[in-house]
Amino acid sequence: MSTTNPQSETQADEVAPRSRWSRRRPAEGTPAAAARARRRSKQRRRLANVAGLMAALVLTGAVYSTLAPGAQAADEGSESSAEAAGRELYERSCISCHGENLEGVPNRGPSLIGVGEAAVYFQVHTGRMPLIRQEAQAPDKPAIFSDEEIDQLMAYVQANGGGPTLPSGDLRDGDLAAGGELFRLNCAQCHNFVGEGGALSSGKYAPSLEDANDLEIYTAMLSGPENMPVFGDNQLTPEEKRSIINYVQTITDMPDPGGAGIGRIGPVSEGLVIWVVGVAALLFGIFWMGSKA
Amino acid sequence: MARTATAPGAPKTLAGRAALEVDDRLIVAGPLRRTLNKVFPDHWSFLLGEIALYSFIILLLTGTYLTFFFQASMTEVVYDGSYAPLRGVEMSIAYASTLDISFDVRGGLLIRQIHHWAALLFMASIVCHMLRIFFTGAFRRPRETNWLIGVALLILGIFEGFAGYSMPDDLLSGTGLRIMSAIILSIPVIGTWAHWAVFGGDYVGDLIVGRLYIAHVLIIPAIILGLIAVHLLILVKQKHTQFPGPGRTEHNVVGNRLFPTFAGKATGLLLVVFGVCAGLGGLVQINPLWLWGPYNPAQVSSASQPDWYVMFLDGSTRLFPAWDIYLPGNYNIPALFWPTVVLPGIIFTLLLAYPMLERKLTGDTASHHLLQRPRDVPVRTSLGLMAITFYVVLLLSGANDVIADKFDISLNAMTWIGRIGLIILPPIAYVLTYRICLGLQQHDREVLEHGIETGVIRRLPHGEFIEVHQPLGPVDEHGHGQLAYGGAPVPKKMNQVGGARRAIRGFFSPIEEPRAVELEQRGEERGLAPADPHRELTSSGRPSEGGRPSEGGRPSEGGRPQEPRD
Amino acid sequence: MTASNTRPGTTGGADVPGPLHGGPDDDYTPEQLAALPREELDRLGARYDGVEILHVEPGPEPGSALEKRAVRQVGTMFALAGLSAFAFVVVYAGAGWFLPNWEWQLGSSTWSVLYTPLLGLTMALAFTFFGVGLVLYTKKLLPHETAVQDKHDGSHFDRVTTGATLVGGLHNSGLKRRKLITRSLAFMGGGLGLMLLAPLGGLIKNPNRGNPLGTTSWAEGVRLVRDDGTPVRPGDQEPGSLETVFPAVPGGNRQTDAATMLIRLRPSQQADASFRAGQEDFGYGDYVAYSKICTHAGCPVSLYEQETSRILCPCHQSQFDVTQGAKPVFGPATRSLPQLPIAVDDEGFFVARSDYIEAVGPTYWNRERI
Repeated sequence: MSTTNPQSETQADEVAPRSRWSRRRPAEGTPAAAARARRRSKQRRRLANVAGLMAALVLTGAVYSTLAPGAQAADEGSESSAEAAGRELYERSCISCHGENLEGVPNRGPSLIGVGEAAVYFQVHTGRMPLIRQEAQAPDKPAIFSDEEIDQLMAYVQANGGGPTLPSGDLRDGDLAAGGELFRLNCAQCHNFVGEGGALSSGKYAPSLEDANDLEIYTAMLSGPENMPVFGDNQLTPEEKRSIINYVQTITDMPDPGGAGIGRIGPVSEGLVIWVVGVAALLFGIFWMGSKA
Repeated sequence: MARTATAPGAPKTLAGRAALEVDDRLIVAGPLRRTLNKVFPDHWSFLLGEIALYSFIILLLTGTYLTFFFQASMTEVVYDGSYAPLRGVEMSIAYASTLDISFDVRGGLLIRQIHHWAALLFMASIVCHMLRIFFTGAFRRPRETNWLIGVALLILGIFEGFAGYSMPDDLLSGTGLRIMSAIILSIPVIGTWAHWAVFGGDYVGDLIVGRLYIAHVLIIPAIILGLIAVHLLILVKQKHTQFPGPGRTEHNVVGNRLFPTFAGKATGLLLVVFGVCAGLGGLVQINPLWLWGPYNPAQVSSASQPDWYVMFLDGSTRLFPAWDIYLPGNYNIPALFWPTVVLPGIIFTLLLAYPMLERKLTGDTASHHLLQRPRDVPVRTSLGLMAITFYVVLLLSGANDVIADKFDISLNAMTWIGRIGLIILPPIAYVLTYRICLGLQQHDREVLEHGIETGVIRRLPHGEFIEVHQPLGPVDEHGHGQLAYGGAPVPKKMNQVGGARRAIRGFFSPIEEPRAVELEQRGEERGLAPADPHRELTSSGRPSEGGRPSEGGRPSEGGRPQEPRD
Repeated sequence: MTASNTRPGTTGGADVPGPLHGGPDDDYTPEQLAALPREELDRLGARYDGVEILHVEPGPEPGSALEKRAVRQVGTMFALAGLSAFAFVVVYAGAGWFLPNWEWQLGSSTWSVLYTPLLGLTMALAFTFFGVGLVLYTKKLLPHETAVQDKHDGSHFDRVTTGATLVGGLHNSGLKRRKLITRSLAFMGGGLGLMLLAPLGGLIKNPNRGNPLGTTSWAEGVRLVRDDGTPVRPGDQEPGSLETVFPAVPGGNRQTDAATMLIRLRPSQQADASFRAGQEDFGYGDYVAYSKICTHAGCPVSLYEQETSRILCPCHQSQFDVTQGAKPVFGPATRSLPQLPIAVDDEGFFVARSDYIEAVGPTYWNRERI
């Protein structure tokens, strides 16, 4: 993907670096207080049942704001056209949870100050945002916005919140085997040996990397969406990230030399196959042998 | 013998003369004839154990091939083989040589995969075989020894399999080995000593793969092979059990002689088992350890499971609550000890002792060669189902993270489902099975007493509707059958007693001439003898024209008088 | 065979049964046997083995349509099995010769991906067709006989006579009276048994020497380094991140008990954080370091959920809360993950302040004593 936006990169430099390390999600108070707040609304209670323990990640979305585009008059005079379009999109789809000025809304959505265009790209391009309903975890789904609209949203958030920017160049430009070692050390514990994904506690899960594109993987490492830890550039250098992406994409695209991959999850599917296919076929066979001609 | 050589009837053919030469030296004609004449019962369930035997043969053949290439060494090397994503990675020679088998030996991957699938099949067929033995009571005197050997084979198979999949030193099996190390450490008092003895020091050392290797290719297979030999010798000596049926008694075996019928079928089965393993080995990828990566104690993957036959122990470990026991003197018994050492200890002890326990509890010390139908021994059958339920809950819990992931269930919920299910499901299985067994028993007795439901509805003169029942034998003055239940299946459908035309054969289209079938049917005249005037169709539980049966005879559902509709 | 050589010492050959020989050879002379038809001989032998052939359903009439069809079916199966077997050989040997190369490479041709499946398929077909053909043969072309074989639990005669022989031999040995021999035998048996077992003593090692289970390579001033050996600075990690670090000693990244998780808490996590008594100062700023080795069964934990602050173990699903001193909050683990006391050295890199103050990894019998 080459959604890199030179405009937003230049904008990023203008943003004061103070917000660069600031926390992405506000403290929403104690979980108990959050629960009390939620109890007030019947609709929210239903949502809370679904959301379970995720008081810290209360994000709502897809609420089409009735606010007129002009109601929030832009203060900044020097806004590029992309940013302006992004603001419009933001105010239509994001503002109810992330606030007027990206500051977040308690119990609904985190602050977007300092998350940067990387997080925006990941969340919106994988379809996680805007959120349709609150669950243990935002599922990926077909992206709602077009690539152009995503660029505009990125430009807006980058200009107003700052944060990590998108990488450029060949994202698979890294050593394959070294990427494998890094993947097994840093990623496989949640995403499985081959990026199949896996279960986490209480209904959360690490998603499969099978359909993820290079930039999504890169921005996920950079921004640490939801429960994923952040892998900043000083922890995993851009070269190392590219190696990991190279490994993941190589492995997920690789055909299986030994026949059907049966999910590549190892003993569970193998056990299923031996009973459902192997033993069943042989039972059928001995039935037939035992029957009279 | 010399006398035969000059005697009349001496063989003239080349083969005959050669056979004579052989017998002159080895004197095998007698034993060979006895073997060829051995009678095998003709029931499909007797072939389950053979599947296990044949998969073991596959294991021996493919395993020997794999030893030509596998190097059981933990020395670290830098991989430089065909598989690019690992080139330049540090790994043990064991792992590297397994990669070489998979990528650099022509056909090596196929053999490796056949070996692994055959191992899974070996264990699965042992379990199936054991269930058959259990539910039909084939373990009863005089066959307790073979039951013990069978359970020993099952346990050895688990160890053999564990050693086998731990040898390649990949990340998945290494994680399993790490858990095994923790299990050994968890044994009270001697745990650390046992660990130092097994691993030659602290985990992981550089000896364990070599030790697993010699256990896997020599020690355990030799014991398994010896036990299989004894198992079969005892079987031949004791002869087969059989299901009850016409002409079958405690003192005979009815079936086919080994040669040629049974030998043909058994060889056929051997080849089909080979075929299934080869098919799975080529078409379905198993343990793709190049994807797992080499073992590194700091790395792990989500969804790390052992092979299915060890998975129940992983399940028990996941479900067991966090109960460390602290003893005076600052000693403690780790929580890990209970689900991984004590629980399998109890399971396998119960399994081993079951024949003796049943003998004690039922007081049945007689020799048995006729099998029981599971429904006729409801307590044993229900206990068996209870045990299976317990086992399946453990097995599924061993895969609970995969289930949670694939079916979008909370992982914590899966753990609790397993914990609760482990306690409440087995008793439910017991009660349900018990009821079903009694129901089936009653239905058998009912058919014997009242006859088969024909589906023919007759209206009596006073307007009552009844279903006509076909008695299976002579009836008394109340119209009740006098046949006793003999432990054999009771026919439940008219065409099982020849009362209906047999189905025309053919899967997509008939391959038989319907008229020919009818003719054949007429010629056979089995079952029903319509010429017999005494055997007329009578209604169930309805003595002549009178009232309801007052004695214990339970009217069958179908025969229960129904309200006339008009 | 009769021997024609009659020199002394080589007179053997003629097998003349002694008076004790007995057996069926006495009942049936060769002449009698020669007069019997083959079926009768078969049944006669079977009767000697306790087998009675009750009923034989002959196979299909020779030359009948039924037979022809069955023969066609069986023949087809065998021919297909042969074809498949030859196909296997062609694929196996032909790859890299007149067929494309079999060796699987990244991004190589479809052929090399199909190589193993093709081998498996042809082999499976060969075996299965052969097996099915054989079963069809026995089912459709062989006569079906029902045989019944006698079965006995054991012979009273055999038991009594064998017992007499055994007891007689034992009695003759006089072991019952000759106590010196039995006692010295028992003594020798014990000694020999022990002697044979003694070499296994080579396996026994003392696990308590030097406390290998309770110590790791971490020590005061040992730097925390990544897998590639680079040291870690407090500025390197983002809040809400985890890095696996190893002690900066040779081979530190391959040690089984040294792997440590260096976690940078988010401010909200840090605000809620509570640590184990006496370990409140083990962290450094918003950094905490916990052993990566699960206290339950020794798997590397590290499925870090940075929002719920939980670390999940993939093996048995123990969950540890990093804001509560890595206390187990779910699953089978009973103990918190040991915390490594860390500090920053003069050059600004993380170092350990000491080894773990408790044994890392799974619990064992005398863990609390060391």
